[in-house]
Amino acid sequence: MRGAGRGWLAAAALSLALGGCAALTSSTPSEPGAGPAPLARDPLAERHRQQAEALERDGQLRRAAEEWKIALAITPGDARAREALRALQARIDQAVAERLDEGRKALARGVQVEARRKFLAALALDPSNRAAFDALQSDTREVEFITHTVRAGDTLTALAQRYYGDRSRGEVIWETNQLPPNPRLAAGTTLKIPEIPGVPFVHPEARRPAPAVAAIPTPDVPRPGTTPGPAAPAAPPTKEEFTAEVNPLLAEAREALERSDYPDAIATVDKFLAGKPGDREGLTLKKQALYGQAKSQMDARQYPESIRSLNQLARLQPDYEDVPALLRQARTRIIEQHYTQGVRYYREEKLKEAIAEWRVVLEMDPGNTNARRNIDQAEKLLRGLEQRMKK
Amino acid sequence: MARRVRGSAVLVSVAALWLAACATATGPARGPAPTAAPAKPTPRPAAYQSEDFIVTFARPGDTPETLAERFLGGADKGWMIEDYTGLRAFAPGQEVVIPRRPWNPAGVTPGGYQIVPILTYHNLGEQAKGRLVLAAATFREQMRYLKANGYRVVSLADFVEFIRLDRQLPQRAVVLTFDDGYRAFKDHAYPVLKELGFTATLFIYTDWVGAGRGALSWADLRELSAAGMDIQAHSKTHADLRRAQGETEAQYARRMQAELEQPQELFNRNLGHRTQVLAYPYGRWEEGLLPKVKEHGYIAAFSVRRQGNASFVRPLAGHRSQIYSEMTLDDFAKNLNVFQEENLR
Repeated sequence: MRGAGRGWLAAAALSLALGGCAALTSSTPSEPGAGPAPLARDPLAERHRQQAEALERDGQLRRAAEEWKIALAITPGDARAREALRALQARIDQAVAERLDEGRKALARGVQVEARRKFLAALALDPSNRAAFDALQSDTREVEFITHTVRAGDTLTALAQRYYGDRSRGEVIWETNQLPPNPRLAAGTTLKIPEIPGVPFVHPEARRPAPAVAAIPTPDVPRPGTTPGPAAPAAPPTKEEFTAEVNPLLAEAREALERSDYPDAIATVDKFLAGKPGDREGLTLKKQALYGQAKSQMDARQYPESIRSLNQLARLQPDYEDVPALLRQARTRIIEQHYTQGVRYYREEKLKEAIAEWRVVLEMDPGNTNARRNIDQAEKLLRGLEQRMKK
Repeated sequence: MARRVRGSAVLVSVAALWLAACATATGPARGPAPTAAPAKPTPRPAAYQSEDFIVTFARPGDTPETLAERFLGGADKGWMIEDYTGLRAFAPGQEVVIPRRPWNPAGVTPGGYQIVPILTYHNLGEQAKGRLVLAAATFREQMRYLKANGYRVVSLADFVEFIRLDRQLPQRAVVLTFDDGYRAFKDHAYPVLKELGFTATLFIYTDWVGAGRGALSWADLRELSAAGMDIQAHSKTHADLRRAQGETEAQYARRMQAELEQPQELFNRNLGHRTQVLAYPYGRWEEGLLPKVKEHGYIAAFSVRRQGNASFVRPLAGHRSQIYSEMTLDDFAKNLNVFQEENLR
């Protein structure tokens, strides 16, 4: 933008230089409508007056008005400038009113793109015009677009590169056409390639579509028929991600799971599920974490803890992976632990302790004959010992 | 704005020539009566002022900021002089036109209209990870790029006034936003922003606050708020706020009550004010959602459609551009367009 008008400015400056002298030589205090001569001849103000007149001739009305105002800041008593500004302001007001009227008529005809241009032109003349602003903001939501027919091999990023020269604008095409995440583009279907403010079309076919081109509402309003049908032949699948954003709690839980920090993963996913109970992704993650935790507890011979994890998992999904088998395995290991501990106490002649361990075995496995026999044997010995003590 | 380059050195020298030429050529023609005393040149005042403009002459070393300090009551208004004149530096004695009040709140000119990019970041780390964890060094480089290239980071509050036609923004205005509320903002982003004098908005989702290992707490948010950062809402649970398939109207209303109102209550309790701006989780929204957003007191809301915002963008359908970790500086710069050229004459 900057510097784009330097040529014009240089020319204007030159014309001012010449015109400035002319004005001074021709200006006389007796000129009708002129202010006090010394003020009117202030070369600084004169330059702005000249510029105002040149701009007005060129149809740049708002800028011309500003130049009149600048000239008046320098020479407030310049009645000629004041009158010129008043007349110009009336001209601007008239032009704004016309554009507003044309815009409203275009809206009534349903030609939103034209209406938008008229309201914008009104704002260009009067950038604080609330009527034009409100109409643009509330009533003209459609933008221009071109239609692209998908060919085999097209991807959204490639289309974005082609039309906008920027691969990342594939997201805008994706959103405009309400495509599913990671879409496959089917050859033959059509896509809308919208105009993106600030991103000029670079593709020759796409430059400045004619106003007659149909218009679409701005995004997020589903448009039936724009999504490629499932039966259409699919282009070779290309991985394109347009939904990179993830729930941070879920992402954090997943990270904890990846580094096998199961308690952290479970605690984090629980926080997530508190906000979104029943969320499928959250529940899947929680099951994975509980399963991983149960397995690692088994490996560390923490069988009761493992059983607790497996029971939690079984409440979510009784047939998850090999949960029933793992539960059986954990129980067996606990029984074995208690049985072996009983034998250890027995050998150390800690009969009461040995009996307690075997009783746990019987509670968990009432048909365990070895435990029953051992208890009988230990009790017999215990009784014998007690009798001997009494004697 | 190219048209304001009229104060350039070329023009100054042309004007100087003109004055000199006129002095010699026209002197006799408009000379005083022979009886009058020789005219003394009236000394120029330091500045001419009206309610719209100040016309002054630069002193050696003057910049838009020093002039704004002198005439507009603060160096922070330097952008007004820079935008109006198109100049960053002035020759001593050079005429400078200073607008005293906004001259283009809508940002619309006959050559097109202003657009304001709003950048969206998520997490930061020592190293990039995935698309949404940006390396701290990359972030620093991007922020320095903004500074070096004359972009002016403005607050989201100022932007909201802009889209209500209540405030003119600098031509190269950019807004910075950070989603979710990661602790990494405090560790990696805030120090850079502070160093460069930038501000930012954090869109936090309240279930995350103080919950995750990498989450900011309410105490952190109070601290950041006191340090000039803006905190706004990103829903309660970070769920897609569009009506789900099979969800009844009553269920949807209940869900939106939680997603949109609970953040309001928590903001009030923990930060002492309500939130007025919403970032849609995943950037997703639909028409049916907008009345609910409005009903719960939000005056602006944003998707993540990768484009800038004209002043007349729909306030509840603003756009933001996500910055991904894999973007080069060139890719980043593609999100910084500030003007849509269009012939509006």
